[in-house]
Amino acid sequence: MDKRTVMKLALEWENPPYVPWNINFTIPATEKLQAYYPGRDLEDVVQNHMVNVGYDIYFYEDIGNDCVRDNFGVVWDRSVDLDIGIVKGQLLEQPSLAGYIFPDPLAPYVFANVDDQLKKYGDRYRIFGIGFSLYERAWTMRGLQTLMTDFYDNPRFVHALLNSIADYNIAQINAILKYDIDAVMFGDDWGQQHRLQMGPRLWHEFIYPVLKRMYATVVRAGKKVFIHSCGDVDELFDDLVGIGLNCFNPFQPEVMDVSALIPQYRQRLAFYGGLSTQQTLPYGNVLDVRRETRHLLELGQTGGYIFSPAHDVPKDVPLENMLAFIDEIQHQPGYLNLV
Amino acid sequence: MNETLKKLFDAILEGDQRAAAAHVQAAIDAGIDPGEILNDGMVAAMSEVGRLYEAGEFYVPEMLIAARAMQASMVLLKPKLIQSNVKSAGKVVIGTVKGDLHDIGKNLVALMLEGAGFEIVDLGSDVTPDKFVEAIRSEKRCLVALSALLTTTMPSMKIIIDAIIAAGLRQNVKIMVGGAPVTETFAQQVGADGYASDASKAVTLAHQLIKAA
Repeated sequence: MDKRTVMKLALEWENPPYVPWNINFTIPATEKLQAYYPGRDLEDVVQNHMVNVGYDIYFYEDIGNDCVRDNFGVVWDRSVDLDIGIVKGQLLEQPSLAGYIFPDPLAPYVFANVDDQLKKYGDRYRIFGIGFSLYERAWTMRGLQTLMTDFYDNPRFVHALLNSIADYNIAQINAILKYDIDAVMFGDDWGQQHRLQMGPRLWHEFIYPVLKRMYATVVRAGKKVFIHSCGDVDELFDDLVGIGLNCFNPFQPEVMDVSALIPQYRQRLAFYGGLSTQQTLPYGNVLDVRRETRHLLELGQTGGYIFSPAHDVPKDVPLENMLAFIDEIQHQPGYLNLV
Repeated sequence: MNETLKKLFDAILEGDQRAAAAHVQAAIDAGIDPGEILNDGMVAAMSEVGRLYEAGEFYVPEMLIAARAMQASMVLLKPKLIQSNVKSAGKVVIGTVKGDLHDIGKNLVALMLEGAGFEIVDLGSDVTPDKFVEAIRSEKRCLVALSALLTTTMPSMKIIIDAIIAAGLRQNVKIMVGGAPVTETFAQQVGADGYASDASKAVTLAHQLIKAA
């Protein structure tokens, strides 16, 4: 049984032989792990179960001074945060799209790695990721605080901006659907540590209708819909399931009850993530990490769960804690029986 | 409440900056005491914003537009407050800690504290311990508010607090900390005087700390 099949079984609650996993590391954490495994391909070490195909936002032009510009024209300062960076300046200074030209959603670079990735990792579950898929893309262009006030000051502009972003994404989704992929993973942080950033009323007014349109494109093609949305957003799960969401990430244990949600949404919504990156991984010891990992693996035994830390592993996680959860997931009996 | 101040209160709550500015001007023109305009109109409105936020009726956008209306009013009222020698609720030196560039949480806390009548010295983001020390060196009594969004930058809070101690200024300040991964336990571990989980609770904490300062 290949990893792709295990993932599909997990996403359908069909008693996978073990809980599949997919773990991403920040650049400093990767360096730490690589130093422990000199000369090894970390993909071989970690044995992830998903492969990301295509590029969306991950096309950046180096413009010097530790800054990069993404394909939408947003400038990111990476002097401190090497992985993502912080938005610098304001691309849309006025509440208008006049004069702004969206990037070509079908630009060759978006799909440049698809064939190679599918060839190299054909046994894995295939995901096309669209990071900054709506609200986040809008605020990176307009500024977070400005977009927040635009909800009240310039609602027609916000609707137009969000729908234009969705049109861009939908064109890209339609193109990627020509390949043998399994799911589209949207990325859009709506939460704070406690509660939504914009509240349920504005979320339903501005974001929900556009999500519905984007998700429908994926659902019509018979593919799965994943969303990565940081923060306390579980109040939205029923609405999201209603428009086709299949799997939620990052499933942060500090902001939602992971033990209750997996059984509560059984046969309706799968979860991906769950291991604490705010407490256990940076501050816990190896036993804490092993205990929490085992608990998550037990919760996902019959399906509906993909193991991962609740974020790309940050740089402050001790190496021994990384090795501990890797060891736990790779010593699941069902996995050992298959490798 | 005076009718004009009630209109000012409502305008801030609704985030209507033009109406808020017009009503504060009307209040000034009517000869209402600047301290009364500040406390009964503006501070009371921002306090209600905080209450509605904690009650789950307001979220970040509503907080931002209310704060903007409050600031538009403050521009007109400030010269009158200075003339009348109305004191602020206290001074707050605020910033995100060294290594952390995420400033929306810090900005919200600063806006709500300003709305509560505090004087804000915003050092911005990625602030070094030296800058904090420099900003409080001449203060006899003030609050220091430290913000961090990432676990990787939280240790900077202790470094800043240690720098304040090393400069011999710890007794002059009360230190509050916050940010998504920050907890009450962490605040105690690094030697802060208090922790607030959101901008509204930061106002309550600031009032408590300034009384104890």
